Amino acid sequence: MLPRKKSPKKHTEPGTKRRFILPVSFLLLSFLLMILPLEGFVSSVKAVLAYVFIPQVRLAHGTAKYAEDVSQTVRELLDAHRENRALKQEIEMTKLLASQAESILDENGRLTEILQLRPARRWTGVWAKVAYREPTQWNTVIIDKGSRDGIRERSAVISMEAGKEGLAGVVVEVTENTAKVLLVRDEDFSAAVYLERGQEEGLLVGSGMRPVRIKYIPLLTHVEKGDKVFTAATSSIFPAGILVGEVSGVREDESFQTALTVNVEPQVHSSAVKEVFVILGNGGRE
Amino acid sequence: MWSAVKLVFLFVLATIVHWAFASIFSYWGLSVNMILAFAAAFCAVLKPACGYPMAFLCGLFLDFFGTKLFGNNAFTFTVAACVVYDLSGRFDFDAIPPQMVTVFGLTFLGGVLNSLLFWWFASTDMWPGFWSLLGGSVVTALFAPVVFWAVRRVMGKCVLSRQV
Repeated sequence: MLPRKKSPKKHTEPGTKRRFILPVSFLLLSFLLMILPLEGFVSSVKAVLAYVFIPQVRLAHGTAKYAEDVSQTVRELLDAHRENRALKQEIEMTKLLASQAESILDENGRLTEILQLRPARRWTGVWAKVAYREPTQWNTVIIDKGSRDGIRERSAVISMEAGKEGLAGVVVEVTENTAKVLLVRDEDFSAAVYLERGQEEGLLVGSGMRPVRIKYIPLLTHVEKGDKVFTAATSSIFPAGILVGEVSGVREDESFQTALTVNVEPQVHSSAVKEVFVILGNGGRE
Repeated sequence: MWSAVKLVFLFVLATIVHWAFASIFSYWGLSVNMILAFAAAFCAVLKPACGYPMAFLCGLFLDFFGTKLFGNNAFTFTVAACVVYDLSGRFDFDAIPPQMVTVFGLTFLGGVLNSLLFWWFASTDMWPGFWSLLGGSVVTALFAPVVFWAVRRVMGKCVLSRQV
């Protein structure tokens, strides 16, 4: 009897099966998690995890917030850089204009001398901030500079609004460190002014809450809305040529009138006055 | 013991990085999956006995914050781990290009697989959008070398590492 031959067994590498056990078991487990109803268990674990991971969530959101702030800061820096370049160009332009103005002033001085006119001198003065407003008198402000800075009573005061300078008022009281300024709208304010179109002069008077008016304009003067109004050279207080405002209308309610009364919208509004320039030395009139 | 502490530290770091990146890049509508990059790095550095459970846990962690389906991320991450272990014979994960290519592919295919699982098991369309997924995969791939470096740096010489 021949010995029975053993059938050859298929050779398998040790560990080959084991290598597949882990991934297959995890895949099977996750598959079971997907198909089995685990709502209650999952919600309980979620609730626990929500507590456990609070510091991490905060840290992650803090990091994200910091990154957002960085991008915001970079954007602001880039904007500032762009703005800086534009401002540098503007400064160059201003320097150019200043040098042109210098030459025009020189020319003006020569012509004034030739024509034997009284020369208009440049304004010199001090900038001051509005320190206080009287609640009962909105058309009067107190500024933070006084006689120590050279401010005298009846000094003209101008201010900037919308990038343009305009007449703001006049100094009426001075202490060592403060001064009281009567604004254009105040009922006690008055100034000699002229209309740019026809050079007709009149008297500008404030009237509280009502529009500012120019009285004594010759009757047949052609006045239009939007005409500019400047301080006149005949004024004893204000230097000539300060922009006061624009004509906003002509009053036609007065019968038997011998002169026109014109309403003016001031260039500088009382409520907008924050910083002012006080012209010293009577505006170069002396 | 010390290796387990290191693993926990890396896991916590992965969750923070994942949330932070997800918050930041959601602003641009990109679905970045940094925890998948960490899972891939675990599998590239650690032995299978440790890499598979870590990948599964990373996925399970994301599942706990999902609402419609549970286990889909664990499934996807386990598949990703299988892919990484399969590629580790052919790819040198010490080099940066294989790391980036692998993570890019895994993130994109993981997103596709996730959407399919949602569609199959929850009958829900969770497709994040082609460009969102593609952009997110690119961003994840860009940061993958840092993740691989960090995991290798922390776990490279411990007993769980494949190189020991």
